[in-house]
Formats: sequence, C-alpha cells, structure tokens
Amino acid sequence: MAEFLQNIVKKSPWIYRINAGSCNGCDVEMATTALIPRYDVERLGCRYCGSPKHADIVLISGPVTAVVREKVLRVYDEIPNPKVVVAVGICPISGGVFRESYSIATQLDAYIPVDVNVPGCPPRPQAIIDGIAMAIEIWRKKF
Amino acid sequence: MNSAEFLVNVLIFPGGLFAIMLGLFLTGLDRKIYARLQRRVGPPICQPCIDMVKLSQKETVIPKTANYTVFRLAPLLGFAGMLAAIAVIPIAGIYSGLYQSGDLLVILYLLSTPALALVIGASASGSAYSSIGLSREISIMLAYEIPMLMVFFTVAMRVGMELGGTAIFSLSSIVDFQLSKGPLLLDLPMLPAFLAFLMCIPGTLGVVPFDIPEAETEITEGPLLEYSGMGLAMFKLTSGLKTLVLSALTIALFFPTELGSFWLVNILWFIFKCVVVMLFTNTLIRATRARMRIDQAYKFYLLVPTSLALMSLVLTVLSFRI
Amino acid sequence: MSKFFKVILKNLIKGPSTIKYPFEDSPAPEKLRGKIAHNSNLCVACHLCEYVCAGGAIKIQESEDKKGIDFVVWHNTCTFCGLCEYYCPTKAIHLTNDYHTAHLQEDKYNYVEKTFVKKQPCICCGKPIVPLALSMVEQIYGKEGDARGLSKMCPQCRRKILWKGACLNYERRGNE
Repeated sequence: MAEFLQNIVKKSPWIYRINAGSCNGCDVEMATTALIPRYDVERLGCRYCGSPKHADIVLISGPVTAVVREKVLRVYDEIPNPKVVVAVGICPISGGVFRESYSIATQLDAYIPVDVNVPGCPPRPQAIIDGIAMAIEIWRKKF
Repeated sequence: MNSAEFLVNVLIFPGGLFAIMLGLFLTGLDRKIYARLQRRVGPPICQPCIDMVKLSQKETVIPKTANYTVFRLAPLLGFAGMLAAIAVIPIAGIYSGLYQSGDLLVILYLLSTPALALVIGASASGSAYSSIGLSREISIMLAYEIPMLMVFFTVAMRVGMELGGTAIFSLSSIVDFQLSKGPLLLDLPMLPAFLAFLMCIPGTLGVVPFDIPEAETEITEGPLLEYSGMGLAMFKLTSGLKTLVLSALTIALFFPTELGSFWLVNILWFIFKCVVVMLFTNTLIRATRARMRIDQAYKFYLLVPTSLALMSLVLTVLSFRI
Repeated sequence: MSKFFKVILKNLIKGPSTIKYPFEDSPAPEKLRGKIAHNSNLCVACHLCEYVCAGGAIKIQESEDKKGIDFVVWHNTCTFCGLCEYYCPTKAIHLTNDYHTAHLQEDKYNYVEKTFVKKQPCICCGKPIVPLALSMVEQIYGKEGDARGLSKMCPQCRRKILWKGACLNYERRGNE
C-alpha cells in the first residue's frame, strides 16, 4: 500500500524557489525551466507555487549572505514535511566566486540539510531538470 | 422524496462522488488545453486527482497567530455548500431537482458559500497577505453578484410570464418549460442575458482576468497562503466543484436539451455541454487575457454585464406587455 | 482581440514544441562550456590556471611521495568561465561540453577531476623534474626540436650547459 501511494504521489511535486542573496542568474534559469514551452516541467506534474506552505521541493540559489540568513531559515521552517532541498548553482554549495567575501560565513549545508546539488554558473535547464528528477526519487521515499 | 433517495442524490449521483470526479476531470482538461494553447505538452488529465492524493499525505502547519478551530473548519464550509448546490440543479432527462419551488434562490445563496469560506479562512489565518486577499475577494464578490442576480430574475420573468403571470423562481419548472418549448438560447431577447452570465463566470471562479484575490505574483496566493495539507486540498476541490456547478447552472438556465431517452446518452451529452461551456468561459479567456486591477474589474462588471442583463430584462417585459 | 485568436489557432495546429528531456535526448552544442577535462601528459604545472581561476577551484600540489604533482579540480566551485583554457600555454586543460552536473549530497566532496603529473629525472643530474610538453619544445626550439636535449634537463643543468656553450663561443671568437 505504501509502495502504491509512493508511486502516485511522486507525480505531483510542487516547487518553491528561495533566493538567498543570489545574482539572479540561477533564478532566470529556474524560471525558464518551468514557464517556457521548450523545457516544460508541468508535464512531469510539477508546478511553481506562490507560498512556502504549499511546497514539496525547495530550490535554493545564492550564497547565504548575512542579511538574508535568518529569513531563509524562517521560510525553510514553514515548509511542511516531507520536503527535499536542492541547491542550484555553485553559490549555495561552496560559496562560488563570492567565497571569501565579507558577508558570507559558510555554505548552505551548515544551516539546513541539503539533498541534491546542481553545480554550474548557471546550470543548464536540462541539468536542473535532472536535479529535480533526483530530488523526486529521494522525496517519494520519505512518505 | 424519501431519505434514501435524498442521500443517494446528495452523496453519489449527481452530488458527491459523481460531482467530485467530474469537477476534477473538468479542471484537468482545462489545464491540458491551456498548455496546448501555449505550445506546451501539459500535465496528464488526471493530474488534479494526483494533487489531491498528495496533499492529503502532507502535514498541516498551523501558524501561531491563527484561530485554531475556525482555521480548520473553514474549508469544509465551501465544500459542503457546493455539494448541496449540485444536488439542487436538475439535469435534463435524468434528474429532476431536489425541490420544486424556490430553488433558484437557494442556488444563489449557496453559490456565495465558497467565497465566504475563503474569506473566513483567510481572516482566521491572521497574516497580512491574507487580509489583503480577503478584502479583494469581498470587493469582487460585490461586483459580480449584481449581474448574476439580474440574469436569474430575467430568466424567471421570462418563464413565469409565459406560464402564469408572475416570475417563477423554480429551476425544475424552468427546465420543464424549455424541454417542451425549446431552449431559451434561441430566443432573441435572452441572448444578452446569456452573454452577461458567461461574463460573470470568470469572476466567480477566480480565473484570469479576474483572479485578483489569488494573485500569485502580487500577494503570494492571498487567502490560501497559510493553508497546507488537507485544508488546501478541500479548497482546490471546492474550486473544481464550483466550475461544475456554474456550467450545470448555465446549461439548466439556457439550453437543457435531451437526446432521446437512454440515460447514458443524456449523461454524455450533459458532460459534453459542460466541457464546451467551461472551454469558452475558463480556458480561452485565461489564455488570452491579462489580470485586471480591482478598479478596472469593478468598472467592467458594473458597466458591461449589468447593462446587457438590464437590456434583456427590459426586452422580455416589453415583449409580453405589448 | 482577434490577433490573439489567430495566434491560438496557429499554436493548436503547430503542436507542442517541447523537448521531452529525460525521455528524449537533448544534445549539447559543440562549443558549450561544460565540465573540465585535464590531460596530464601536456601539463607543465606552471600554476597559471590556478592563478586565474575565478572560483578558486583548481589546486596544484606536490604529492606526498614527491614522485609527481597532484592536479585537482573541484567541479562544485568551477564557474565554467574558460579562463584556465584561455591562459594555458600547452592546452592541457580544456572544457568539454558535458553539462550533466546534478549529483547527490553524499558525492559532494568526491565530485572532482583528479590527475597526476609524473616527474621524470633530469638527464644530467638525475633530480626529478616536470618535463616540458612537446608543444612548448617546438615553440622554444623550433621545428628541428632540441638537439642538445635541453628540454629534458632541470633548470640548473640547463643554465650550466648554456653557460658552458657561451664560454666556448666567447673563447672561439676571442681566438679568431
């Protein structure tokens, strides 16, 4: 029964984007993955939702700067379980080009547990879809 | 009618199970066609069912500033109202409505319960975005109720003046009248009323260009912001049921026809008419229009559908007095 | 208003334009800047790529047993800017067009490209040195290659041989 439910549920993950101080390059790539007809994610059942309370998969971009750190943690706490975190771009994974800057303390997985990494500056939309597919596989096992 | 028949009508056919499945099917078809109009592939048609199953498995997060009881009970209000509304509407050839008189007014009241549920739920959430959303919802509700009331009154007058002397507010007699004399759509004075009713439907459903209360990019989903898990599933289900209720109401008011007397053919013909009404009021408008501001929506509703309905009312009354 | 309906009709007729990515292949263009690949036979360990790297992804260090040089690129900080490829004198490092970079959190610190540049002994004194790549030899010594084997000597022996040759030339000229 659990297996059957898992197979149904994996067809409808809802995605929420958090911008933790990024340069918006990865945000533009994430927007093009869903909205343009070329790389439609809606055929996989995904949907961009406007509220963190509706989300299942969180895409985080940007190095976690000092100004935005508390807010990212607060929004992350609002997302109901089970949830999966995907770090998009090299900034959340390791700080990227901004690593030794004055406003960045550590990388993202010192604050919240990350599940999938998609490096690239910015990663190609097909690579982001790969990352989302991996995240869906991890997510369905958490039910 | 006895209570067993009553229970079957409300819970299985045409309320309850049949209505939920048909409502979700209409929503899924709408999303698929909307995607095809944009040269995308789109989700499978059973996608809303999968969404409901997934939402029922998520946990519910209740904010600290929320009123606990009202927050959890608000989604059920709209759902119950819509289930009751579907049982009241007659379907040509298969099902005559629950009540014999006065059910047009009952429908009018029941149609406002989902919006009220949204408003109550949003105010129980206690968040700033929700309060903006709920004030916009109340404003737009005031705007679209006026032409809708006028259209109901016009249809009731038309049927009533032909049969007796005064307006008859009974859906079953309206449907019986049309089955014997031909649909009201072919009657020229009623055509502006039909157009006015079609224009009210996107406002009721919260569809672009009138999805002002649920504007995603402006107030991050407005009233539904703090809902997750089962409550959200109830709201989405209510929205699907509302599509079905409005399509069925349009069909019952303006063109209830039946093809022969076999029940399966009549049901399929009803579903086909529902799909056509939904296509023209929901999908096509959603694909080609942009969102309006609240004052533009007000101006539109107070000018265009109201004047069309008024024109229809005047023409109907005149055609009988002369 | 009617313009929109014409667009919709055209869209319905043309059909979807989606590349159904995980189920259909989406080939990368040839010049796409993808993951780094390093050829240790051409590398001379000049540290130029490490100096210009924008994300600080390249590390060149002598290995513990002193037999060669470890060359490590961590893909999780590489910006795919291509500066290392532009400045490399021997074209040992280049960017492929592989864009499949998604990986799980457990592999985060293993997601590297690691190669080993072996040192060879100097033909004069026997000290292990990193040999010059063939393209650099041709650039410095011309098409005939180097007849005296200067490219296989360590810098100190090379200077000694060149100085001896300079002395010899000086003596010869002085005598004439």
